[in-house]
Amino acid sequence: MSTFFNIALLSIFSLIFTQDEFFQPGSSIGGYGELHWNKANDADGKSIKNEMDFHRFIIFYGYNWTEKWSFTSEVELEHNFIADGEGELELEQAFVNYHADNWGFQGGVILPTAGLLNEYHEPPLFLSVERPNYSKYIIPTTWFGNGIALYGNYSGFNFRLALLEDLEGEGIFYDGNIRGGRGKGFKTTGYSLLKNISASYTGINGLRLGGSFSLNNAPIADENKNASSDSTIAVQLFEINAKYSANNIYAVFEYGKSEFKYEGSIAPFYLNDDAEIVTWSDFSSSGYYLDLGYNVGGFVNTNKLIPWVRISNVSKNDDDVSKQTDYLRFGLTWWPIDDVAFKTDFANVTTDGTTTTEFNVGIGYKF
Amino acid sequence: MVFNKINLFNFTLFWGILLGASPIRDATEKYIISQFEDSISINMHTLIIDAELKALVQNRVKQRFYRDELYYWNISNNDTTIAYALMDNVLGKSMPITFLVLVDLDGKILSTKVIKYREAYGGEVGNKNWLAQFTDFSDKSDYKVGKNIDGISGATISVNSLTKGVQKMAVLFPLIKDKLK
Repeated sequence: MSTFFNIALLSIFSLIFTQDEFFQPGSSIGGYGELHWNKANDADGKSIKNEMDFHRFIIFYGYNWTEKWSFTSEVELEHNFIADGEGELELEQAFVNYHADNWGFQGGVILPTAGLLNEYHEPPLFLSVERPNYSKYIIPTTWFGNGIALYGNYSGFNFRLALLEDLEGEGIFYDGNIRGGRGKGFKTTGYSLLKNISASYTGINGLRLGGSFSLNNAPIADENKNASSDSTIAVQLFEINAKYSANNIYAVFEYGKSEFKYEGSIAPFYLNDDAEIVTWSDFSSSGYYLDLGYNVGGFVNTNKLIPWVRISNVSKNDDDVSKQTDYLRFGLTWWPIDDVAFKTDFANVTTDGTTTTEFNVGIGYKF
Repeated sequence: MVFNKINLFNFTLFWGILLGASPIRDATEKYIISQFEDSISINMHTLIIDAELKALVQNRVKQRFYRDELYYWNISNNDTTIAYALMDNVLGKSMPITFLVLVDLDGKILSTKVIKYREAYGGEVGNKNWLAQFTDFSDKSDYKVGKNIDGISGATISVNSLTKGVQKMAVLFPLIKDKLK
């Protein structure tokens, strides 16, 4: 009887808790960071910026319980210090992941799939010292928040549907872009939920093609920080992206467009620093960048060395030329090893006929 | 005494269920059989990689071994060994990637397969096209991502990790060939 009981017990136990003999639970640690030296001159050549900044320091911690269940997290310290509203400490990712063979689920603090950099933002993965301006004002990289996601892949195609916390309408109003409306997982609302749908194709070596669509009715909070679904900014973001990195060629293209429309009875307004009333009006923003580079590492006997050029336009408001900027940036990026990059770039930045210059030097790493 | 027997029985049963029910082993053996047109027989074995050998290979490839034990399959046709399949894990971003490398008796890679990928990002390393790049490589080949091996945008960590893992198997094979059953 006891033998039978033991067999039954062990059989049940085995079925429930069986780990494949090739798998061992365990944790992993990683991270990335970047030091920047940013200089800028105005149209007359006078210095308007000369700043050294350890912009980001990230520690990654992951744990896998079983073959299918794991946990991923990223904690970020921005600008090396936090005081008086300067610098930030953020939990950029913290989610439980269930991963079956070709589909999976995530829940926690997650990243929407929008643009090439939002999910893959480690400094050795992009050319410039700073992230592209496009990836700041059109796609608010790093964009993260509370939510859940379902994803799947089939024959080189990848699909993902994510539902995240609402954007903050008042932040979009004050800052004039999605970036200002990120809730960052801090006591956010869930009235309409941000819907983020994306697809990409990676079936050809070195090539990635992707696109996404995000929409949300971002509740506008009043001065008492009470938000409701009665007064919202309807946000739509559509973007496409392509990257080719093979045969020593490095090429990236991204394009995105956002629309912002007020939905409610009384358009919001606020007093700006000059005590002027700023009233909401619907607008759209758009932008693109094109990177072209060639790896000459083979000629100079080093791991990877890419001289590159970036052509970009970021239009924070498509109807206002004072908010439309052209960038022409040249750079040289050297990876002595794949996980460490030394970067330098120079740019002409033109807004409404006035051109300023930027010169940046940086070091980035990941592990 | 009776108690001990039962325990031993349970222990055997427990591991028997574990091994017999291993989806990884099933998937691996199915894949190996699919790679050969002739009727073959396969036998799984394990080999402990000693510290000295481990250090030698790790120094050359610049990647640690995930574990001390190597799983391998002897592939034979009419009692003659014709190839080996070597299985190992490498670390992706946070989860191990289980992969298999089939080599001929000269250590030339016949094919490579990701048996199990366990996380959301970077699963593209399982693409057949990408893995086909390793075919005909050996311990002497240059496994440089971006030069001889094309990368995959959005899967950099797993691409680098798996490339080194495959190289590790290719470098290891000539050094352990005489010890294999």
